[in-house]
Amino acid sequence: MKLERLVNIDRRIVYLCIAVGTTLPLLLPIGLPVSSTPPVRSLFEKVESLGPEDVVLLSFDYGPTTAPENTPMAEAILRHCFTRGIKVVVIALFPIGGVTMAGEVLANITPEYPQLQEGVDYAFLGYKDGAQAAMKQMGVAFVNVFPVDNGRRPLGEIPLMQRVVNYDDVDLIVTLSTNVIAEWWANLVNAQFGTPVAVGATAVSAPKYYAFLDSGQMIGLLGGLKGASEYERLVIDRYPHFARLYDRPGVYTAIKGMDAQTVDHAIIMAFILFGNTVHFLIRRRDRRAGLRDA
Amino acid sequence: MFWKLRLPLALTFIVGLVPIVTFFLSTQAPVIGPAVQFARDRVERYMVIIAGFALLLGVVSVVQGSVRKIERRRPGWPFAASLLAGLVVMGAFGILSAMRVGPFQGLLTAPDGGMTPFFWMTRNLFNPLQAAMFSLLAFYIASAAFRAFRVRNVEATILLIAAFIVMAGRTPLGEYAFGWLPGGERWLPAVTDWIMTVPNAAAQRGVIIGAALGAASLSLRVILGIERSYLGTTEK
Repeated sequence: MKLERLVNIDRRIVYLCIAVGTTLPLLLPIGLPVSSTPPVRSLFEKVESLGPEDVVLLSFDYGPTTAPENTPMAEAILRHCFTRGIKVVVIALFPIGGVTMAGEVLANITPEYPQLQEGVDYAFLGYKDGAQAAMKQMGVAFVNVFPVDNGRRPLGEIPLMQRVVNYDDVDLIVTLSTNVIAEWWANLVNAQFGTPVAVGATAVSAPKYYAFLDSGQMIGLLGGLKGASEYERLVIDRYPHFARLYDRPGVYTAIKGMDAQTVDHAIIMAFILFGNTVHFLIRRRDRRAGLRDA
Repeated sequence: MFWKLRLPLALTFIVGLVPIVTFFLSTQAPVIGPAVQFARDRVERYMVIIAGFALLLGVVSVVQGSVRKIERRRPGWPFAASLLAGLVVMGAFGILSAMRVGPFQGLLTAPDGGMTPFFWMTRNLFNPLQAAMFSLLAFYIASAAFRAFRVRNVEATILLIAAFIVMAGRTPLGEYAFGWLPGGERWLPAVTDWIMTVPNAAAQRGVIIGAALGAASLSLRVILGIERSYLGTTEK
């Protein structure tokens, strides 16, 4: 009977362990090492190969629900692009908070680069509904989908958008996605227009994109918080002045988040091992009892 | 009969056919090129507008459902009331800000460079509430994993082993597990990469191809008028 009690422990004990395992590492970072994987290095190297004449289209296809995973990706990629002088066009295709996520990230990052001029070095076109139709029309002309930018300035008056007409003028598309929108970037835009696409996906949806990565329809993949932390690590290693920025106390980064994720994974694995051990002991006890009765 | 059945079927057929036909025809073709370009552009622009109406439909549906719940004092009606209040307040500030009415000049940034009321509410109310809802998943996943992940048969054992490797390999745990052996820190991450890029990608490919074939066949049924449930009728 004692074994049954162990296998049916109060779920609040599990919740408490997860709460402590998440909170403590965030308050007191452990500083676990982060190493990079090929899909993340591939995107990093692609951005490294671009320069001030090149344009990256950054699509915010996520909302606040997955911000802890997607926002560090967005910030690291934007910092990487701005440091290299790459021009960035920011859009949002996710209806529930995509545009505010983009606004928030830009508001956090652009003050770090006082030399940047909105409209010249980057453009924020805002949100558009109907993701698939919008993606296809941007292949004809951005102005067909975004007649004005997020500040209601006509696209024709924005210097950067005067030379970025459609996907032919974009060197890389990065989608930070929480759902199926990333898939559309691959099978609508990459397949039909040939523009390289990379995706920053949540850990839950990342497994699906390995098929696109393998087929060459995506050139890079940041999978969840781990992918974001790998990209942060690559940026810090290549541009050491970022180390101070990412180490600031009280600032959430994916590298710091990985401490909490690692502890939580360890807790879940420990619970699974514990549950299976008890399950095995119950089965052995029952089998012996059965033999005794026989 | 004409307005409720034949006209919608004809419209669906034409609008559904345009993207398929124009995909296979070049816009550079001598005679039909400009027509192909025109049709493709028009349909794609209309799709963006129609998608906006889908949002409106969602709002109407939420309002109707919530109002009914409040009127009949069903269990949980105060939640429906707070949902409606949030919808009205956020919606009003969002629409006024986007349309730049009166003091609401700008969706995110005010003319003086500060935050607009809409952005303030988004940042301080909407974002934390959404994040809190989603973060509850971590607790449920942990509890469900503890209860459901059991070595009951061969398939479950393989799944459990793969899950353990990926859970460890996707964190620094994987590097520590065999880090005491020469080169051991790469073992678990390498196996994790193999699981993700080979068996996982193969299974995902099957799912994606299956889903695409299903979507294509359903689309054809809708375009040809065989599938009519979206009209609220199955009448032939």
